Amino acid sequence: MKFFSKPLFALLSLTFCLAAAQDPRQQLVDLAKAGNGVIKLDSKTFEILTSPKRTWEFEPSWNAVGGAWATVSKEHRDNHFFATLDFDDGQIVFQKLGLQSAPVVYVYPAAQGPRAPASGKTSPLKYDFSHGFDAAPLAESLSKHTPIPIPYRDPIDWAKYISIATGVLGLLVTLRFISPIIQSRWTWALGTVAISLVMTSGYMFTRIRNSPFTGGNGNWVAAGFQNQFGQEVSVVAGIYGLLAMSFLMLVMVVPHQTSPARQRAQIYLWSGVFVIVYSALVSLFRVKNRGYPFKLFL
Amino acid sequence: MVYLRSLVFLIAGLATTLHAKSSTGDSVLVVVEPNQQDNYSLFFNGLKEQGYDLTFRAPKAETPVVIEYDVANFAHVILLAPETKVFAKDITPQSLVDLLGKKTNLIVALSPKQTPLSSLAAEFSLTLPPPGTPLLSYFPEREEPASVIPVPVPASHSILSSNLPPVWFSGAPHSLGNNPLIVPILRAPAASFASETDGGSPDALVDAAERGGEGLWAGSQLGLVTGFQTLDGSRITWLGGAAILSDEFATKEVSKGVPSGNLQFARDVAKWTFQEAHVLRIDRTTHHLVNTTEPLELYTTNDQIVYTAYISKYDSVSSSWVPYSGIKDLQLEFTMLDPHIRTALLPVSNEPGKYLVTFRAPDRHGVFKFLINYKRKGLSFLESSTTVAVVPPRHDGYPRFLSAAWPYYTGAISTSVAFFLFSALWLAGDSREKRAKGHKAE
Amino acid sequence: MPTAYPLPKNLSPATVANTASLIRIVALALISGAAIASRLFAVINFESIIHEFDPWFNYRATRVLAAKGFYEFWNWFDPTAWYPLGRVVGGTVYPGLMATSGVIYNLLHAINLPVDIRNICVLLAPGFSALTAWATYMFTKEMKDASAGLLAAAFIGIVPGYISRSVAGSYDNEAIAIFLLMFTFYTWIKALKQGSALFGTIAAVTYFYMVAAWGGYAFITNMIPLHALVLILMGRFSSRLYVAYSSWYAIGTLASMQVPFVGFQPVKTSEHMAALGVFGLLQIVAFAQLVRSHISSQQFQRLLVAGVVSIGVLGALAFVLLTYKGWIAPWTGRFYSLWDTGYAKKYIPIIASVSEHQPTAWPSFFMDLQFLIFLFPAGVILCFRELRDEHLFVIIYAAVASYFAGVMVRLMLTLTPVVCVTSAVALSTLLDTFIDPIEPEITDDAQSESGASTTSSVPGTNGAASTAPTATSAAASKKAKKAAPAASSEPGLKLSDVFASSTVKTSRPRGIYGLDTRVMIVFNTTLVLAFFVSHCTWVTSSAYSSPSVVLASTNPDGSQHIIDDFREAYYWLRQNTPEDAVVMSWWDYGYQIAGMADRPTLVDNNTWNNTHIATVGKAMSSSEEVAYPILRKHDVSYILVIFGGLIGYSGDDINKFLWMVRIAQGVWPDEIQEPNYFTPQGEYKVDDSASPAMKNSLMYKMSYYRFAELFGGNPGQDRVRQQQVPKVGPTLDYLDEAFTSENWIVRIYEVKKEDPLGRDLKSANAFAHGKKRKRSKPAPRRRAIV
Repeated sequence: MKFFSKPLFALLSLTFCLAAAQDPRQQLVDLAKAGNGVIKLDSKTFEILTSPKRTWEFEPSWNAVGGAWATVSKEHRDNHFFATLDFDDGQIVFQKLGLQSAPVVYVYPAAQGPRAPASGKTSPLKYDFSHGFDAAPLAESLSKHTPIPIPYRDPIDWAKYISIATGVLGLLVTLRFISPIIQSRWTWALGTVAISLVMTSGYMFTRIRNSPFTGGNGNWVAAGFQNQFGQEVSVVAGIYGLLAMSFLMLVMVVPHQTSPARQRAQIYLWSGVFVIVYSALVSLFRVKNRGYPFKLFL
Repeated sequence: MVYLRSLVFLIAGLATTLHAKSSTGDSVLVVVEPNQQDNYSLFFNGLKEQGYDLTFRAPKAETPVVIEYDVANFAHVILLAPETKVFAKDITPQSLVDLLGKKTNLIVALSPKQTPLSSLAAEFSLTLPPPGTPLLSYFPEREEPASVIPVPVPASHSILSSNLPPVWFSGAPHSLGNNPLIVPILRAPAASFASETDGGSPDALVDAAERGGEGLWAGSQLGLVTGFQTLDGSRITWLGGAAILSDEFATKEVSKGVPSGNLQFARDVAKWTFQEAHVLRIDRTTHHLVNTTEPLELYTTNDQIVYTAYISKYDSVSSSWVPYSGIKDLQLEFTMLDPHIRTALLPVSNEPGKYLVTFRAPDRHGVFKFLINYKRKGLSFLESSTTVAVVPPRHDGYPRFLSAAWPYYTGAISTSVAFFLFSALWLAGDSREKRAKGHKAE
Repeated sequence: MPTAYPLPKNLSPATVANTASLIRIVALALISGAAIASRLFAVINFESIIHEFDPWFNYRATRVLAAKGFYEFWNWFDPTAWYPLGRVVGGTVYPGLMATSGVIYNLLHAINLPVDIRNICVLLAPGFSALTAWATYMFTKEMKDASAGLLAAAFIGIVPGYISRSVAGSYDNEAIAIFLLMFTFYTWIKALKQGSALFGTIAAVTYFYMVAAWGGYAFITNMIPLHALVLILMGRFSSRLYVAYSSWYAIGTLASMQVPFVGFQPVKTSEHMAALGVFGLLQIVAFAQLVRSHISSQQFQRLLVAGVVSIGVLGALAFVLLTYKGWIAPWTGRFYSLWDTGYAKKYIPIIASVSEHQPTAWPSFFMDLQFLIFLFPAGVILCFRELRDEHLFVIIYAAVASYFAGVMVRLMLTLTPVVCVTSAVALSTLLDTFIDPIEPEITDDAQSESGASTTSSVPGTNGAASTAPTATSAAASKKAKKAAPAASSEPGLKLSDVFASSTVKTSRPRGIYGLDTRVMIVFNTTLVLAFFVSHCTWVTSSAYSSPSVVLASTNPDGSQHIIDDFREAYYWLRQNTPEDAVVMSWWDYGYQIAGMADRPTLVDNNTWNNTHIATVGKAMSSSEEVAYPILRKHDVSYILVIFGGLIGYSGDDINKFLWMVRIAQGVWPDEIQEPNYFTPQGEYKVDDSASPAMKNSLMYKMSYYRFAELFGGNPGQDRVRQQQVPKVGPTLDYLDEAFTSENWIVRIYEVKKEDPLGRDLKSANAFAHGKKRKRSKPAPRRRAIV
């Protein structure tokens, strides 16, 4: 297990009411100020801070959210703290919390005072990373526990905008030179057909479900009717494309052949391709749908 | 023997004219050891005079059974066998709770001994002291043993007659849980405590409390006689000791020339338990729109609704229900998940028993309930729930002309006018154009 | 001219034309018959019964409409749905389907045919599928010719992709919507071709019918503007387009706003903004054209172009601003999840939980469309070859619909018509080419002819289309229309046109030599078509004809065994519970309970209130103690769960349970957390190693209550999860088992009343079972001072 440099993040929610709490609270305020809104913890301060009251935990996203919190007005800010704990600094804490992996984010709500949760549940809440490690969902879910929502905004990704702008400009320049291609109906025809082929081969399924490209061990056909691997998209799209092409050959190219013999050969060739590939497609479908009763020549 | 005698009583009861005193029935089963039956003759005769049919049965006798074919055979059951450890098999804590569910009322006497009944008491949030610890009190100083105690009765109590002299009590106290269905009737004197009869020194008591961790069984928070009204409306009264009903205590003087209050007390307790007194019911409820009389199943949002409830009280003297306007704190809720409206449901001044309120339906559609939920200690619970739907206005129930819709009116009218003008101009211009063309052609 | 096979010479052209139209009529009639017949498997195998879930609501609503009339239906407030919130049905329903059935019902009764409303509902979808076949025929005829139309009609008549939603008993909005979709498109194409305000109006009226019938009308609302926009961008703006679009949009939008459920959405929501924007653009472009035709100054025209562009930009900005300000509602979640495919799972789990909103894997495409799926690209290419205005429509439709069908299984339905149309175009082109008896003369001339194809077209229709705009009066256009069929038969003097009623080949000296290739291709095609028919029949009978209310399984001896647990349970509820007893179940079964058991339900398949569904999810996924107050607050008397563990019915509630947890977590993240329902290893288990939250959940307890007893001491086996259930099953304190169906699929529990003694039901239950209560001591009020 790699613990190193994987910090534990903790969030503290303190309360005004306890006179006894004043002292560590002031400590925290100072620490938070020093760390630009994020408190650096070690096992000792973690113990001090979490035993009577509570704490939370996270890195770039965490710091971004913590930094955003530091811009909040003082009265709210000092009721709620962000803290981090590196494994190097607090192995005992990791052991105490039974943590096997990092990062982990805990919200320690105020145990007493006006900010204590109404449900009376003061046990720390674990943040669910199911929405990824981005700062925006983190800030959103943490805002439920802070006195006011964390004023977090995604930083403007200048690199992204600049690359998009150059891309658009480059595209416009290229367009000038390739406009005959763009204006050709066959370019568009190919594009449209490509879209429909890819879509009808289940591309969106693999994207939405994050299917792997293959199943490993050379197994590229996913078991089950409602399931498929990434490679199936390309194979099936290829089959469909081949079938459509052989069909189009028969319709569009063959009649233009002026030599009867060559035309006959072409017709038999493309018909053969059509029948064989179609048979292959049906047998592939039989792999996916075991109960399918029909088959062609294969 | 017992059976025969009870038969005789039954026949005697049938022969005489019955005064139906209770609102729920007159048949009473008394479970009592035959040899102790005479100890309570004053109490029993009092009941008989009131018109109750008393049937006696020994605790271990098999008949008459309390529940037959899932139907309760008696309207009321008195269990005066506080020391009996083994009952006939149809009398178990479970069957007694069943009885309550079948609208039977119970009077149950306890004793310092551990019996099946004392474990039943726990189900009613009554906690009994350890076995063998009766209530003791050395005050006031008197000839009687410390376990026979004159208990002062509160001067005004909703169930008891006012200004009763103290009643004699002997038995075990119980502490009351925080169950809201409990109706405390008689509490222990402040100077009394529960302890073993012989080792009654205060030090021993404190020691015992510390060792056993049982808490301190002392003081006026302990109950001696406690009523309990179930959510179904049936009533049960727990007596700390059976002796409170006995002839001996009834005739014993509390002080010179002052007879004890036991007899009247027993009568009051029976009156409450057997649903003679403090019995209310909702006769019917209606609801309708203001200025109409027919109840609707669907009301429209913001309708003015009139809700009426008719409430009667049982009068044991005339054995009849008479309209009752005495409730001043009745409330009506108009509820969908949460009460959208909660308002006082006040008696109408010159119509006895009628309670009426007029209110505006909330501006929210859904399935609402008119709810009356009146629960007061000692009184029967009044509950009523009527479901109606509150619906949005019908498609033609909205106002026809809206000032907010002026942009649309303007748009429609101006378009129509413009179309008319355009058509007129077009038709006029068309002929000229043709003419122009014609000129050109020429 | 040499022919590949001999042709009869003594037939008069009139005979040929008459025979051709007779054959067309007979073929259409046969196709309609086949379309209806193939949808009757469900009725023959099972019975005349309403299928699945949503149709049960439609059926119930139709009964109200038939019994009480339209106005009462419009004002119908259903107090039994979404108890206690109720549902304003009249304002939250697309009434087209019910109104259609109501009209048919009243019509039949007016001519003294006392048909039961249920049979009308059951047979409505097959009936409309025949109409769909006709509409597809008309539409494809506009694309190519009548023979392609007949093929397309035959395809859509039996293709499983459409049958899946229109078998007898599948009484859902889609049943009539696909007909309306195709018919609207047909009239739109017709209006565009002729520049006819009349057809534009007909398109608007059918569009209105579509809006009244199906939420998917938004597809039309965006397809037609997209088509118009592409035409403008390609410089194909014409007064025909202007007339067709303006008449369709103005009348269609005003009409669609008359549907109560739609109301002001057409001017307020983003889904409808494209149509409005294109309408505006068309006005600007038309104005620009007008000005351009009157002014010659080049500079002024440039200014005009700049003006048009800036107005367009300003309009777009205004739209953005209005959206930002909230005047225009942003995309609804359902719609938005089509673009951002991760959106629904993250924010609206209810939408993601519906099985028909799952993405489509390729076998589904093949299953539903079979060989059409790969003729479809070929047909699209053939459309590009001619690329008339109407072909553009098909091309756009093809691209858009194939994306949508890939994202959601359900939208396969919108892809199916275009696949049928394009593959019919492709197949009929093949047949035209190879049946055409004329052999080209053998020549070495390698002159390219590819350009010729674009100019070729059906002379009749093209002629009508080109004459119509020149005619200023409607009467003239009508005349042209009447002339169209005559015109189309005129060049068909040659017999070749009877077989290939297209003149593509006649204008092209190229063709096929010899008879053998012709025979082989025709034979191949017949084979492929025969395979398609058997495929469709098999899929329809085996996969799409199960009512899902009644399940069928096969006995070891091969005979059919009917599993009728659902109706058994629903009728039990109907017969044995008070009429106002509220039944709680997961929302899937809401409509069925309302329809068959006639009891109020907390949630149903109209998933409009997320919080209410989450409440049910919370009750199902919490422990008894937590769930009980929720149940009492909502007046729940009975809880119904579906449990497939005994006979292996995989669509049961335990398999849907995680969605309940997720949806509940969305509203109460502090109380319900999905990870708690997995084992520490992250597995979803129901056996001994199940997590405590899982074992304590109401759903688990209700599913497995007394399940282990069935196995008499042997370890019980859950046949869906393939896991052994714990030997000691869960206990219930707050619920009583009321009913369990024959195969344990439906289990119904009664919610106990509060204990009359005011105890919590757990200790009351322990007491009733004779368990000794722990001696409690009184709460210390005072402490002894020692």
